[in-house]
Amino acid sequence: MSGAPAIPALAVRGLRAGYGRGGDIVRGIDLDQLPETILAVIGPNGSGKSTFVKALAGLLRPREGSISITGRDVTGLSAARRVVAGVAYVPQEKNVFATLTVRENMQLATEFLRRRAGTGREQEERVLTLFPELADRGRTLAGNLSGGQRQMVAFACALLANPEVLLLDEPSAGLSPRFVSETMEAIVRVRSAGTTIVLVEQNVQAALCIADAVMVLVAGRKSLEAPAGQIRQADLADLFFARAA
Amino acid sequence: MIGQLLLNGTVSGLLLALPALAVSLTFGILKFPNFAVGGSLTLGAYAGWVFNTQLGFQIVGASLLAAATVALVSVLLDVAVFGRLREQGSIALMVASMGVSLILENLCRFVFGNATRSLDVDVARPLRWAGLRISHEQIVTAAAVLGCLVLLHLVLRTTPLGRAMRAVADNPTLAAARGIEREVIVRLTWAIIGLLTGLAGVLAAIDRAVEPLVGWSYQIPVFAAAILGGLGSPLGAVLGALAVGLSEELATLVVPTSYRQAVSFAVILLLLLVRSQGLLGARAVRK
Repeated sequence: MSGAPAIPALAVRGLRAGYGRGGDIVRGIDLDQLPETILAVIGPNGSGKSTFVKALAGLLRPREGSISITGRDVTGLSAARRVVAGVAYVPQEKNVFATLTVRENMQLATEFLRRRAGTGREQEERVLTLFPELADRGRTLAGNLSGGQRQMVAFACALLANPEVLLLDEPSAGLSPRFVSETMEAIVRVRSAGTTIVLVEQNVQAALCIADAVMVLVAGRKSLEAPAGQIRQADLADLFFARAA
Repeated sequence: MIGQLLLNGTVSGLLLALPALAVSLTFGILKFPNFAVGGSLTLGAYAGWVFNTQLGFQIVGASLLAAATVALVSVLLDVAVFGRLREQGSIALMVASMGVSLILENLCRFVFGNATRSLDVDVARPLRWAGLRISHEQIVTAAAVLGCLVLLHLVLRTTPLGRAMRAVADNPTLAAARGIEREVIVRLTWAIIGLLTGLAGVLAAIDRAVEPLVGWSYQIPVFAAAILGGLGSPLGAVLGALAVGLSEELATLVVPTSYRQAVSFAVILLLLLVRSQGLLGARAVRK
Protein backbone atom coordinates (compact mmCIF):
# COMPACT_ATOMS: atom_id res chain seq x y z
CA MET A 1 0.00 0.00 0.00
CA SER A 2 1.19 3.51 -0.69
CA GLY A 3 0.64 6.83 1.09
CA ALA A 4 -0.21 7.58 4.70
CA PRO A 5 -2.61 5.21 6.47
CA ALA A 6 -6.21 6.44 6.55
CA ILE A 7 -7.31 8.24 9.71
CA PRO A 8 -9.81 5.94 11.44
CA ALA A 9 -13.37 7.22 11.24
CA LEU A 10 -13.79 6.01 14.81
CA ALA A 11 -10.95 5.51 17.26
CA VAL A 12 -11.59 4.27 20.80
CA ARG A 13 -8.92 3.89 23.47
CA GLY A 14 -9.33 2.17 26.84
CA LEU A 15 -13.05 2.95 27.06
CA ARG A 16 -14.72 2.14 30.37
CA ALA A 17 -18.36 2.98 31.09
CA GLY A 18 -21.20 2.00 33.39
CA TYR A 19 -24.41 3.24 35.00
CA GLY A 20 -24.73 5.26 38.21
CA ARG A 21 -22.61 3.89 41.01
CA GLY A 22 -22.57 0.36 39.60
CA GLY A 23 -19.49 -1.37 38.28
CA ASP A 24 -18.09 -0.97 34.78
CA ILE A 25 -20.20 -2.55 32.03
CA VAL A 26 -17.72 -1.68 29.29
CA ARG A 27 -14.27 -2.64 30.55
CA GLY A 28 -11.49 -1.13 28.51
CA ILE A 29 -12.24 -1.35 24.78
CA ASP A 30 -9.79 -0.30 22.05
CA LEU A 31 -10.93 0.05 18.47
CA ASP A 32 -9.89 1.58 15.13
CA GLN A 33 -12.57 1.55 12.46
CA LEU A 34 -11.74 2.47 8.88
CA PRO A 35 -13.94 4.98 7.04
CA GLU A 36 -16.93 3.72 5.03
CA THR A 37 -17.01 0.30 6.66
CA ILE A 38 -19.62 -1.58 8.66
CA LEU A 39 -18.41 -2.92 12.00
CA ALA A 40 -20.78 -5.47 13.52
CA VAL A 41 -20.65 -5.52 17.31
CA ILE A 42 -22.00 -8.83 18.54
CA GLY A 43 -21.99 -10.78 21.77
CA PRO A 44 -24.23 -12.57 24.24
CA ASN A 45 -26.96 -10.79 26.19
CA GLY A 46 -25.51 -8.48 28.83
CA SER A 47 -22.11 -8.28 27.18
CA GLY A 48 -22.22 -4.47 27.12
CA LYS A 49 -22.97 -3.90 23.42
CA SER A 50 -25.69 -1.29 23.95
CA THR A 51 -23.73 0.36 26.75
CA PHE A 52 -20.71 0.60 24.44
CA VAL A 53 -22.70 2.28 21.69
CA LYS A 54 -24.42 4.64 24.18
CA ALA A 55 -21.01 5.70 25.45
CA LEU A 56 -19.96 6.38 21.83
CA ALA A 57 -23.12 8.48 21.33
CA GLY A 58 -22.43 10.50 24.49
CA LEU A 59 -25.56 9.33 26.32
CA LEU A 60 -23.33 7.74 28.93
CA ARG A 61 -20.26 9.60 30.13
CA PRO A 62 -17.13 7.42 29.83
CA ARG A 63 -15.38 6.74 33.13
CA GLU A 64 -12.06 6.30 31.40
CA GLY A 65 -10.62 6.32 27.90
CA SER A 66 -11.12 8.41 24.80
CA ILE A 67 -13.25 8.51 21.65
CA SER A 68 -12.19 10.26 18.44
CA ILE A 69 -14.17 10.88 15.27
CA THR A 70 -11.99 11.33 12.16
CA GLY A 71 -9.11 12.31 14.44
CA ARG A 72 -11.04 14.76 16.62
CA ASP A 73 -11.39 13.91 20.31
CA VAL A 74 -15.09 14.01 21.26
CA THR A 75 -14.83 12.33 24.68
CA GLY A 76 -15.79 15.44 26.66
CA LEU A 77 -18.66 16.50 24.40
CA SER A 78 -22.35 16.14 25.30
CA ALA A 79 -24.54 13.88 23.16
CA ALA A 80 -25.97 16.91 21.35
CA ARG A 81 -22.50 18.30 20.56
CA ARG A 82 -21.31 14.92 19.33
CA VAL A 83 -24.02 15.07 16.66
CA VAL A 84 -22.49 18.34 15.47
CA ALA A 85 -19.07 16.60 15.55
CA GLY A 86 -20.36 13.86 13.23
CA VAL A 87 -21.84 11.08 15.38
CA ALA A 88 -25.42 9.94 14.77
CA TYR A 89 -27.21 7.36 16.89
CA VAL A 90 -30.33 5.31 16.27
CA PRO A 91 -31.52 3.67 19.50
CA GLN A 92 -33.05 0.20 19.61
CA GLU A 93 -36.42 1.36 20.93
CA LYS A 94 -38.23 4.69 20.95
CA ASN A 95 -36.17 5.79 17.98
CA VAL A 96 -38.64 8.37 16.68
CA PHE A 97 -40.62 11.15 18.37
CA ALA A 98 -43.94 9.29 18.41
CA THR A 99 -46.08 12.38 19.07
CA LEU A 100 -44.55 14.37 16.19
CA THR A 101 -45.18 13.88 12.48
CA VAL A 102 -42.61 12.30 10.17
CA ARG A 103 -41.96 15.73 8.68
CA GLU A 104 -41.39 17.26 12.13
CA ASN A 105 -39.06 14.39 13.05
CA MET A 106 -37.03 15.13 9.93
CA GLN A 107 -37.03 18.89 10.53
CA LEU A 108 -35.71 18.36 14.05
CA ALA A 109 -32.90 16.19 12.74
CA THR A 110 -31.02 19.23 11.45
CA GLU A 111 -32.62 22.31 13.01
CA PHE A 112 -30.13 22.45 15.86
CA LEU A 113 -27.06 21.52 13.78
CA ARG A 114 -26.48 24.86 12.08
CA ARG A 115 -22.73 24.57 12.60
CA ARG A 116 -22.51 21.21 10.81
CA ALA A 117 -21.75 21.27 7.09
CA GLY A 118 -23.71 19.22 4.59
CA THR A 119 -27.04 19.17 6.40
CA GLY A 120 -29.00 21.23 3.90
CA ARG A 121 -31.42 20.59 1.09
CA GLU A 122 -29.01 18.42 -0.93
CA GLN A 123 -28.57 16.02 1.97
CA GLU A 124 -32.34 15.82 2.42
CA GLU A 125 -32.72 14.89 -1.25
CA ARG A 126 -29.96 12.27 -0.90
CA VAL A 127 -31.69 10.77 2.14
CA LEU A 128 -35.06 10.72 0.40
CA THR A 129 -33.39 8.89 -2.49
CA LEU A 130 -32.25 6.24 0.00
CA PHE A 131 -35.70 6.07 1.62
CA PRO A 132 -38.17 7.15 -1.09
CA GLU A 133 -41.18 5.79 0.83
CA LEU A 134 -40.83 8.62 3.37
CA ALA A 135 -41.50 11.39 0.87
CA ASP A 136 -45.30 11.03 0.99
CA ARG A 137 -45.58 10.18 4.71
CA GLY A 138 -44.66 13.62 5.99
CA ARG A 139 -47.93 14.33 7.76
CA THR A 140 -48.26 10.91 9.40
CA LEU A 141 -47.75 10.83 13.15
CA ALA A 142 -44.52 8.84 13.65
CA GLY A 143 -46.16 6.87 16.48
CA ASN A 144 -48.69 5.49 13.99
CA LEU A 145 -46.03 3.90 11.74
CA SER A 146 -45.16 0.20 11.77
CA GLY A 147 -41.91 -0.93 13.39
CA GLY A 148 -40.12 -1.16 10.05
CA GLN A 149 -41.33 2.25 8.93
CA ARG A 150 -40.24 3.81 12.22
CA GLN A 151 -36.82 2.29 11.71
CA MET A 152 -36.61 3.94 8.28
CA VAL A 153 -37.64 7.33 9.72
CA ALA A 154 -35.04 6.92 12.45
CA PHE A 155 -32.32 6.08 9.88
CA ALA A 156 -33.35 8.99 7.71
CA CYS A 157 -33.26 11.43 10.64
CA ALA A 158 -29.82 10.21 11.67
CA LEU A 159 -28.51 10.53 8.11
CA LEU A 160 -29.90 14.03 7.63
CA ALA A 161 -27.20 15.13 10.08
CA ASN A 162 -24.66 13.96 7.44
CA PRO A 163 -22.74 11.90 10.03
CA GLU A 164 -19.21 10.56 9.74
CA VAL A 165 -20.18 7.65 11.99
CA LEU A 166 -23.66 6.13 12.33
CA LEU A 167 -24.34 4.08 15.45
CA LEU A 168 -27.17 1.55 15.11
CA ASP A 169 -28.40 -0.30 18.20
CA GLU A 170 -30.13 -3.53 17.15
CA PRO A 171 -32.01 -2.17 14.14
CA SER A 172 -33.56 -5.59 13.40
CA ALA A 173 -35.06 -6.03 16.88
CA GLY A 174 -38.78 -6.78 16.73
CA LEU A 175 -38.95 -6.70 12.93
CA SER A 176 -40.41 -9.43 10.72
CA PRO A 177 -37.85 -11.36 8.57
CA ARG A 178 -38.85 -9.36 5.47
CA PHE A 179 -38.22 -6.06 7.25
CA VAL A 180 -34.91 -7.38 8.67
CA SER A 181 -33.73 -7.99 5.14
CA GLU A 182 -34.94 -4.54 3.99
CA THR A 183 -33.25 -2.91 6.96
CA MET A 184 -29.94 -4.62 6.24
CA GLU A 185 -30.16 -3.56 2.59
CA ALA A 186 -30.77 0.02 3.74
CA ILE A 187 -27.65 -0.16 5.96
CA VAL A 188 -25.54 -1.29 3.00
CA ARG A 189 -26.91 1.62 0.92
CA VAL A 190 -25.99 4.03 3.69
CA ARG A 191 -22.43 2.63 3.85
CA SER A 192 -22.17 2.90 0.06
CA ALA A 193 -23.17 6.56 0.36
CA GLY A 194 -19.99 7.15 2.39
CA THR A 195 -20.97 6.69 6.04
CA THR A 196 -19.09 4.57 8.57
CA ILE A 197 -21.44 2.31 10.53
CA VAL A 198 -21.22 0.64 13.92
CA LEU A 199 -23.94 -2.02 13.97
CA VAL A 200 -24.88 -3.61 17.28
CA GLU A 201 -26.86 -6.74 16.50
CA GLN A 202 -28.34 -9.82 18.18
CA ASN A 203 -29.14 -11.23 14.75
CA VAL A 204 -25.58 -12.43 14.12
CA GLN A 205 -26.30 -14.05 10.78
CA ALA A 206 -27.90 -10.92 9.34
CA ALA A 207 -25.08 -8.74 10.67
CA LEU A 208 -22.32 -10.98 9.28
CA CYS A 209 -23.90 -10.85 5.82
CA ILE A 210 -23.33 -7.11 5.49
CA ALA A 211 -20.43 -6.33 7.86
CA ASP A 212 -16.86 -5.61 6.79
CA ALA A 213 -15.48 -6.34 10.24
CA VAL A 214 -16.75 -7.93 13.42
CA MET A 215 -16.06 -7.19 17.07
CA VAL A 216 -17.21 -9.70 19.64
CA LEU A 217 -17.88 -8.38 23.13
CA VAL A 218 -18.03 -10.73 26.09
CA ALA A 219 -18.56 -9.37 29.62
CA GLY A 220 -17.65 -5.85 28.53
CA ARG A 221 -14.34 -6.79 26.92
CA LYS A 222 -13.33 -7.28 23.30
CA SER A 223 -12.93 -11.03 22.74
CA LEU A 224 -12.31 -10.89 19.05
CA GLU A 225 -11.94 -8.38 16.24
CA ALA A 226 -11.56 -9.67 12.70
CA PRO A 227 -12.66 -9.15 9.10
CA ALA A 228 -16.19 -10.54 8.66
CA GLY A 229 -15.00 -13.03 6.05
CA GLN A 230 -12.72 -14.73 8.55
CA ILE A 231 -15.40 -15.35 11.15
CA ARG A 232 -16.76 -18.88 11.43
CA GLN A 233 -20.02 -19.64 13.27
CA ALA A 234 -18.22 -22.33 15.28
CA ASP A 235 -15.71 -19.76 16.57
CA LEU A 236 -18.54 -17.47 17.59
CA ALA A 237 -20.36 -20.22 19.47
CA ASP A 238 -17.14 -20.96 21.32
CA LEU A 239 -16.68 -17.28 22.20
CA PHE A 240 -20.32 -16.71 23.16
CA PHE A 241 -20.80 -19.73 25.36
CA ALA A 242 -17.39 -20.83 26.57
CA ARG A 243 -16.09 -17.48 27.67
CA ALA A 244 -19.26 -15.60 28.53
CA ALA A 245 -18.79 -16.27 32.24
CA MET B 1 -79.09 34.96 33.48
CA ILE B 2 -77.51 31.81 32.06
CA GLY B 3 -75.91 33.85 29.28
CA GLN B 4 -74.26 36.11 31.85
CA LEU B 5 -73.04 33.12 33.86
CA LEU B 6 -71.63 31.52 30.70
CA LEU B 7 -69.80 34.75 29.87
CA ASN B 8 -68.43 35.15 33.40
CA GLY B 9 -67.44 31.48 33.54
CA THR B 10 -65.68 31.65 30.19
CA VAL B 11 -63.62 34.68 31.25
CA SER B 12 -62.84 33.13 34.66
CA GLY B 13 -61.78 29.99 32.82
CA LEU B 14 -59.57 31.97 30.45
CA LEU B 15 -57.87 33.56 33.46
CA LEU B 16 -57.07 30.07 34.75
CA ALA B 17 -55.87 28.95 31.31
CA LEU B 18 -52.44 30.64 31.38
CA PRO B 19 -51.23 29.19 34.70
CA ALA B 20 -52.89 25.85 33.83
CA LEU B 21 -50.86 25.88 30.60
CA ALA B 22 -47.74 26.60 32.68
CA VAL B 23 -48.51 23.58 34.89
CA SER B 24 -49.13 21.45 31.82
CA LEU B 25 -45.88 22.53 30.12
CA THR B 26 -43.87 21.84 33.29
CA PHE B 27 -45.40 18.41 33.62
CA GLY B 28 -44.98 17.58 29.93
CA ILE B 29 -41.36 18.69 29.62
CA LEU B 30 -39.94 18.59 33.15
CA LYS B 31 -42.13 15.73 34.43
CA PHE B 32 -43.26 17.15 37.75
CA PRO B 33 -46.33 18.97 39.12
CA ASN B 34 -45.12 22.53 39.54
CA PHE B 35 -46.67 24.06 42.66
CA ALA B 36 -44.47 27.14 42.30
CA VAL B 37 -47.12 28.46 39.94
CA GLY B 38 -49.02 29.97 42.94
CA GLY B 39 -46.01 31.94 44.18
CA SER B 40 -45.17 33.01 40.62
CA LEU B 41 -48.70 34.38 40.19
CA THR B 42 -48.30 36.42 43.38
CA LEU B 43 -44.90 37.66 42.21
CA GLY B 44 -46.42 38.65 38.86
CA ALA B 45 -49.21 40.57 40.59
CA TYR B 46 -46.74 42.52 42.78
CA ALA B 47 -44.31 43.10 39.88
CA GLY B 48 -47.22 44.51 37.86
CA TRP B 49 -48.20 46.73 40.79
CA VAL B 50 -44.62 48.05 41.16
CA PHE B 51 -44.22 48.84 37.45
CA ASN B 52 -47.75 50.27 37.22
CA THR B 53 -48.21 52.35 40.37
CA GLN B 54 -44.64 52.94 41.59
CA LEU B 55 -42.73 53.35 38.32
CA GLY B 56 -45.56 54.90 36.32
CA PHE B 57 -45.90 52.42 33.45
CA GLN B 58 -49.27 52.05 31.72
CA ILE B 59 -50.96 48.74 32.47
CA VAL B 60 -49.93 47.11 29.15
CA GLY B 61 -46.26 47.99 29.62
CA ALA B 62 -46.42 47.05 33.32
CA SER B 63 -47.94 43.66 32.42
CA LEU B 64 -45.21 42.91 29.91
CA LEU B 65 -42.48 43.96 32.34
CA ALA B 66 -44.07 41.89 35.13
CA ALA B 67 -44.20 38.87 32.82
CA ALA B 68 -40.52 39.40 31.90
CA THR B 69 -39.62 39.72 35.60
CA VAL B 70 -41.31 36.42 36.51
CA ALA B 71 -39.69 34.78 33.45
CA LEU B 72 -36.26 35.90 34.67
CA VAL B 73 -36.97 34.72 38.23
CA SER B 74 -38.20 31.35 36.88
CA VAL B 75 -34.98 30.84 34.91
CA LEU B 76 -32.90 31.80 37.97
CA LEU B 77 -34.93 29.37 40.10
CA ASP B 78 -34.13 26.63 37.60
CA VAL B 79 -30.44 27.46 37.85
CA ALA B 80 -30.51 27.61 41.67
CA VAL B 81 -33.03 24.91 42.58
CA PHE B 82 -34.84 22.85 39.96
CA GLY B 83 -31.82 22.19 37.73
CA ARG B 84 -29.89 20.76 40.68
CA LEU B 85 -32.76 18.40 41.52
CA ARG B 86 -33.46 17.36 37.92
CA GLU B 87 -32.18 13.79 38.37
CA GLN B 88 -33.75 13.33 41.84
CA GLY B 89 -37.21 12.44 40.58
CA SER B 90 -40.58 14.15 40.42
CA ILE B 91 -41.38 13.96 44.16
CA ALA B 92 -38.27 15.95 45.12
CA LEU B 93 -39.03 18.52 42.42
CA MET B 94 -42.67 18.79 43.50
CA VAL B 95 -41.74 19.36 47.16
CA ALA B 96 -39.11 21.91 46.06
CA SER B 97 -41.75 23.72 43.98
CA MET B 98 -44.03 23.92 47.05
CA GLY B 99 -41.16 25.44 49.01
CA VAL B 100 -40.40 27.90 46.21
CA SER B 101 -44.06 28.93 46.09
CA LEU B 102 -44.15 29.65 49.82
CA ILE B 103 -40.84 31.53 49.69
CA LEU B 104 -42.01 33.74 46.79
CA GLU B 105 -45.31 34.44 48.52
CA ASN B 106 -43.65 35.32 51.84
CA LEU B 107 -40.99 37.43 50.15
CA CYS B 108 -43.81 39.49 48.66
CA ARG B 109 -45.46 39.68 52.09
CA PHE B 110 -42.15 40.72 53.70
CA VAL B 111 -41.38 43.43 51.14
CA PHE B 112 -44.88 44.82 50.52
CA GLY B 113 -46.78 43.91 53.70
CA ASN B 114 -50.23 42.37 54.08
CA ALA B 115 -52.18 45.39 52.83
CA THR B 116 -54.40 44.87 49.80
CA ARG B 117 -53.39 47.05 46.89
CA SER B 118 -54.90 47.87 43.52
CA LEU B 119 -53.52 48.46 40.08
CA ASP B 120 -53.98 51.85 38.46
CA VAL B 121 -56.49 50.84 35.78
CA ASP B 122 -58.99 53.25 34.24
CA VAL B 123 -62.48 52.55 35.46
CA ALA B 124 -64.85 52.21 32.53
CA ARG B 125 -68.57 51.57 32.39
CA PRO B 126 -69.41 48.02 31.42
CA LEU B 127 -70.68 47.37 27.93
CA ARG B 128 -74.19 46.08 27.49
CA TRP B 129 -74.75 43.75 24.58
CA ALA B 130 -77.60 41.33 23.93
CA GLY B 131 -78.65 41.55 27.56
CA LEU B 132 -75.11 40.79 28.78
CA ARG B 133 -73.06 43.02 31.02
CA ILE B 134 -69.44 42.89 29.83
CA SER B 135 -66.88 44.64 32.02
CA HIS B 136 -63.76 46.32 30.69
CA GLU B 137 -61.63 43.89 32.77
CA GLN B 138 -63.34 40.91 31.17
CA ILE B 139 -62.54 42.22 27.68
CA VAL B 140 -58.90 42.88 28.63
CA THR B 141 -58.55 39.43 30.22
CA ALA B 142 -60.15 37.61 27.29
CA ALA B 143 -58.11 39.52 24.70
CA ALA B 144 -54.82 39.07 26.54
CA VAL B 145 -55.34 35.36 27.22
CA LEU B 146 -56.59 34.55 23.72
CA GLY B 147 -53.63 36.45 22.25
CA CYS B 148 -51.24 34.45 24.44
CA LEU B 149 -52.91 31.16 23.54
CA VAL B 150 -52.63 31.84 19.81
CA LEU B 151 -49.00 32.94 20.21
CA LEU B 152 -48.09 29.90 22.31
CA HIS B 153 -49.85 27.60 19.87
CA LEU B 154 -47.82 29.10 17.00
CA VAL B 155 -44.59 28.76 18.99
CA LEU B 156 -45.28 25.12 19.86
CA ARG B 157 -46.47 24.09 16.40
CA THR B 158 -44.45 26.12 13.91
CA THR B 159 -41.09 27.08 15.40
CA PRO B 160 -37.92 25.04 15.97
CA LEU B 161 -38.17 25.89 19.69
CA GLY B 162 -41.72 24.51 19.86
CA ARG B 163 -40.75 21.33 18.02
CA ALA B 164 -37.75 20.92 20.33
CA MET B 165 -39.95 21.42 23.41
CA ARG B 166 -42.35 18.74 22.18
CA ALA B 167 -39.42 16.47 21.28
CA VAL B 168 -37.88 16.82 24.77
CA ALA B 169 -41.32 16.12 26.29
CA ASP B 170 -41.69 13.04 24.09
CA ASN B 171 -38.21 11.52 24.42
CA PRO B 172 -35.36 13.53 26.00
CA THR B 173 -32.71 10.91 25.23
CA LEU B 174 -33.55 10.84 21.55
CA ALA B 175 -33.70 14.64 21.53
CA ALA B 176 -30.08 14.71 22.77
CA ALA B 177 -29.15 12.26 20.01
CA ARG B 178 -30.68 14.66 17.48
CA GLY B 179 -28.44 17.53 18.60
CA ILE B 180 -30.94 19.23 20.94
CA GLU B 181 -29.38 20.43 24.21
CA ARG B 182 -32.00 19.57 26.82
CA GLU B 183 -30.76 22.16 29.31
CA VAL B 184 -31.20 25.01 26.80
CA ILE B 185 -34.74 23.89 25.97
CA VAL B 186 -35.56 23.47 29.68
CA ARG B 187 -34.38 27.02 30.47
CA LEU B 188 -36.40 28.45 27.60
CA THR B 189 -39.41 26.45 28.82
CA TRP B 190 -38.99 28.01 32.26
CA ALA B 191 -38.90 31.44 30.62
CA ILE B 192 -42.19 30.71 28.82
CA ILE B 193 -43.72 29.33 32.03
CA GLY B 194 -42.64 32.54 33.81
CA LEU B 195 -44.13 34.74 31.07
CA LEU B 196 -47.46 32.92 31.31
CA THR B 197 -47.71 32.99 35.11
CA GLY B 198 -46.39 36.56 35.36
CA LEU B 199 -49.03 37.85 32.96
CA ALA B 200 -51.70 35.74 34.68
CA GLY B 201 -50.63 37.32 37.98
CA VAL B 202 -51.33 40.81 36.63
CA LEU B 203 -54.68 39.68 35.20
CA ALA B 204 -55.55 38.12 38.58
CA ALA B 205 -54.64 41.43 40.22
CA ILE B 206 -56.95 43.27 37.81
CA ASP B 207 -59.71 40.74 38.50
CA ARG B 208 -59.28 40.75 42.29
CA ALA B 209 -56.52 42.70 44.07
CA VAL B 210 -52.81 42.62 44.79
CA GLU B 211 -52.28 40.75 48.06
CA PRO B 212 -49.95 37.94 49.23
CA LEU B 213 -52.56 35.16 48.86
CA VAL B 214 -53.70 36.07 45.35
CA GLY B 215 -51.65 33.22 43.84
CA TRP B 216 -52.75 30.68 46.43
CA SER B 217 -56.42 31.39 45.70
CA TYR B 218 -55.83 30.25 42.10
CA GLN B 219 -53.59 27.28 42.93
CA ILE B 220 -56.24 24.56 43.34
CA PRO B 221 -58.48 25.61 40.40
CA VAL B 222 -55.36 25.85 38.20
CA PHE B 223 -54.26 22.33 39.09
CA ALA B 224 -57.81 21.06 38.68
CA ALA B 225 -57.87 22.59 35.19
CA ALA B 226 -54.52 21.08 34.19
CA ILE B 227 -55.46 17.62 35.52
CA LEU B 228 -58.96 17.75 34.06
CA GLY B 229 -57.51 18.65 30.66
CA GLY B 230 -54.99 15.82 30.84
CA LEU B 231 -51.60 16.76 32.30
CA GLY B 232 -49.05 17.45 29.58
CA SER B 233 -51.62 18.47 26.96
CA PRO B 234 -51.59 22.26 26.32
CA LEU B 235 -54.97 22.29 24.55
CA GLY B 236 -56.36 20.09 27.31
CA ALA B 237 -55.21 22.63 29.92
CA VAL B 238 -57.19 25.37 28.16
CA LEU B 239 -60.31 23.19 27.88
CA GLY B 240 -59.88 22.13 31.51
CA ALA B 241 -59.60 25.77 32.59
CA LEU B 242 -62.79 26.67 30.71
CA ALA B 243 -64.56 23.67 32.27
CA VAL B 244 -63.50 24.74 35.78
CA GLY B 245 -64.49 28.39 35.18
CA LEU B 246 -67.86 27.48 33.70
CA SER B 247 -68.72 24.86 36.31
CA GLU B 248 -67.90 27.31 39.13
CA GLU B 249 -70.20 29.94 37.64
CA LEU B 250 -73.01 27.58 36.64
CA ALA B 251 -72.95 26.00 40.11
CA THR B 252 -74.45 29.24 41.43
CA LEU B 253 -77.68 28.30 39.63
CA VAL B 254 -78.28 25.49 42.11
CA VAL B 255 -76.42 26.47 45.31
CA PRO B 256 -75.47 29.70 47.07
CA THR B 257 -72.27 31.37 45.76
CA SER B 258 -70.21 30.34 48.78
CA TYR B 259 -70.66 26.63 47.86
CA ARG B 260 -69.90 26.96 44.17
CA GLN B 261 -66.33 25.66 44.39
CA ALA B 262 -67.49 22.47 46.12
CA VAL B 263 -70.14 21.82 43.47
CA SER B 264 -67.80 22.57 40.59
CA PHE B 265 -65.18 20.20 41.99
CA ALA B 266 -67.81 17.52 42.45
CA VAL B 267 -68.58 17.87 38.74
CA ILE B 268 -64.87 17.66 37.90
CA LEU B 269 -64.50 14.59 40.12
CA LEU B 270 -67.35 12.91 38.27
CA LEU B 271 -65.74 13.80 34.92
CA LEU B 272 -62.44 12.30 36.02
CA LEU B 273 -64.17 9.14 37.24
CA VAL B 274 -65.59 8.72 33.75
CA ARG B 275 -62.37 9.72 31.98
CA SER B 276 -59.45 9.29 34.36
CA GLN B 277 -56.77 10.48 31.91
CA GLY B 278 -58.49 13.87 31.58
CA LEU B 279 -60.17 15.41 28.55
CA LEU B 280 -57.19 15.16 26.18
CA GLY B 281 -54.91 12.99 28.30
CA ALA B 282 -54.67 10.10 25.85
CA ARG B 283 -52.02 11.82 23.74
CA ALA B 284 -49.93 12.53 26.80
CA VAL B 285 -49.58 8.82 27.55
CA ARG B 286 -46.04 7.65 26.96
CA LYS B 287 -45.70 5.10 24.16
